[in-house]
Amino acid sequence: MLWVLFKESLFFAWQSLVANKLRSFLSLLGITIGIFAIILVFTIVDGLESNIRGSIQSLGNNVVYIQKWPWDFGPDYPWWKYINRPVPKYYELDELQKRCKSTEAIAYRMGKRRTIKYKSNSIQNAVVAGISHDFYKIKNFDLTSGRYFTQNETDAGYHLALIGASIAEGLFPNEDPVGKEIKISGHKAVVIGVIKKEGESLLGISFDYQVITPFNFARYFLDPKSENADPIIYAKAKPNISNAEMMGELTGIMRAIRKLKPMGEPNFALNETSLISKGFDGLFDIIGTAGWIIGGFSILVGGFGIANIMFVSVRERTNLIGIQKSLGAKNFFILVQFLGESVMLSTIGGFFGLLLTYILTALGKDIIDMDIGLTSTNIILGFTISILIGIISGFIPAYSASQLDPVEAIRSN
Amino acid sequence: MNRPKIITFICIIGYLSVVFTFPQVFSPQIKKLGVFIPAIYGILVAANFIACVGLWYFKQWGVQLYVISVFAKLLFYILANQQGFGFYFNLVTSFIFIIILLRFYPKMNQNL
Repeated sequence: MLWVLFKESLFFAWQSLVANKLRSFLSLLGITIGIFAIILVFTIVDGLESNIRGSIQSLGNNVVYIQKWPWDFGPDYPWWKYINRPVPKYYELDELQKRCKSTEAIAYRMGKRRTIKYKSNSIQNAVVAGISHDFYKIKNFDLTSGRYFTQNETDAGYHLALIGASIAEGLFPNEDPVGKEIKISGHKAVVIGVIKKEGESLLGISFDYQVITPFNFARYFLDPKSENADPIIYAKAKPNISNAEMMGELTGIMRAIRKLKPMGEPNFALNETSLISKGFDGLFDIIGTAGWIIGGFSILVGGFGIANIMFVSVRERTNLIGIQKSLGAKNFFILVQFLGESVMLSTIGGFFGLLLTYILTALGKDIIDMDIGLTSTNIILGFTISILIGIISGFIPAYSASQLDPVEAIRSN
Repeated sequence: MNRPKIITFICIIGYLSVVFTFPQVFSPQIKKLGVFIPAIYGILVAANFIACVGLWYFKQWGVQLYVISVFAKLLFYILANQQGFGFYFNLVTSFIFIIILLRFYPKMNQNL
């Protein structure tokens, strides 16, 4: 019986919405904009967060970076303490590899932007990196074609290169790059492999725009002593060794290599990816809260709009309510009828808001080449907010309608 | 019977608290707790609002729903491990309001 009443009252609500198309459209517009604003911000924040977290993940949780500068996001960064430090050297890699017991792999990398040419095609500002052989053990990347360097090729500094997907697309639009000879700052190198496309990275560490060469070849066009080449030594911990344990050992060895006094300040930094994550946590909280405030106001305005329309609707149909009640309609029936109308309005508004968000993110995904999409969490949240705003803004008008005296309601104009 | 002033006061406080707690439904902090947590929290906020409407019309179901929504909300805060100052403030004020509401309960309208 209750279900039949419920169904019938919803049917009445639907008829009323259809009968006043323009009014329904205008009132659901507020909710559409509100849901669109909130869910769009949440979707963008989620997309950015997952991109950055993915990029940080690709750096490796168990990888420590030996560098000149420490990763610190605090306001009082004492740069003057670090500016005179030496950059990591290639011979330090050899020493670390010989002495360190807690690492699974240690690798060296330096890189700088250079122009790459193939016949008449050229790409400016491609990142050219010079690496040691074990680099592939630290960084995860797949090759779509070709192969990685052999130990002999990296040690001897063969003029070879692995290129990123975007570099391959730019230099070799209609041919297979493997086996072709490119020029890096005027130095010839044979392409032996193409790295699988990774997509945009907000941290700027995608392999798509990189050319990887053996360190001993890269020395021809990159200066390993220069800070501009950003030399880094990567150390990856063995499976059952914690980062802290490995960092303890690395600190001892690095101090010995650089002949530092026992109580002297270290002149190198050991950086972990968790430091970057911490730095971004605060940023995402701020963006999320800003979106929440902007969207919250839109939703509030939308809610008041629906409440207003519902009051008008009740006033307009007072006569009809009186007739329904005099024919035996229960208070519950009238309540559900009007409440259903407001929930329907706001849910349809929410649906269009989500649809707009979906369309915009789908278009944006292609433009910015980043994985931003409407998640199930945000869809559930969008519908939850719509339904709730419908209940809250429609309950008072609906309840006041249900409490009307039938005789007075019929008499009203 | 007319609505006593103290109940009007409780209703106004209730409406204001809904205005302030509703935006929390889609706040990043609540969203982080889980996929369905905003929906659950939203139902509790809506129940609290409907209870206030019931109290405004001096109905017994308003008190019943108010008591249920207060306990459900407190349980939610405990399960979600959100026991800050707001939790204890809510706990104390809600219990004071419930005692006041129960005093007027027999005089309230029993119908929907």
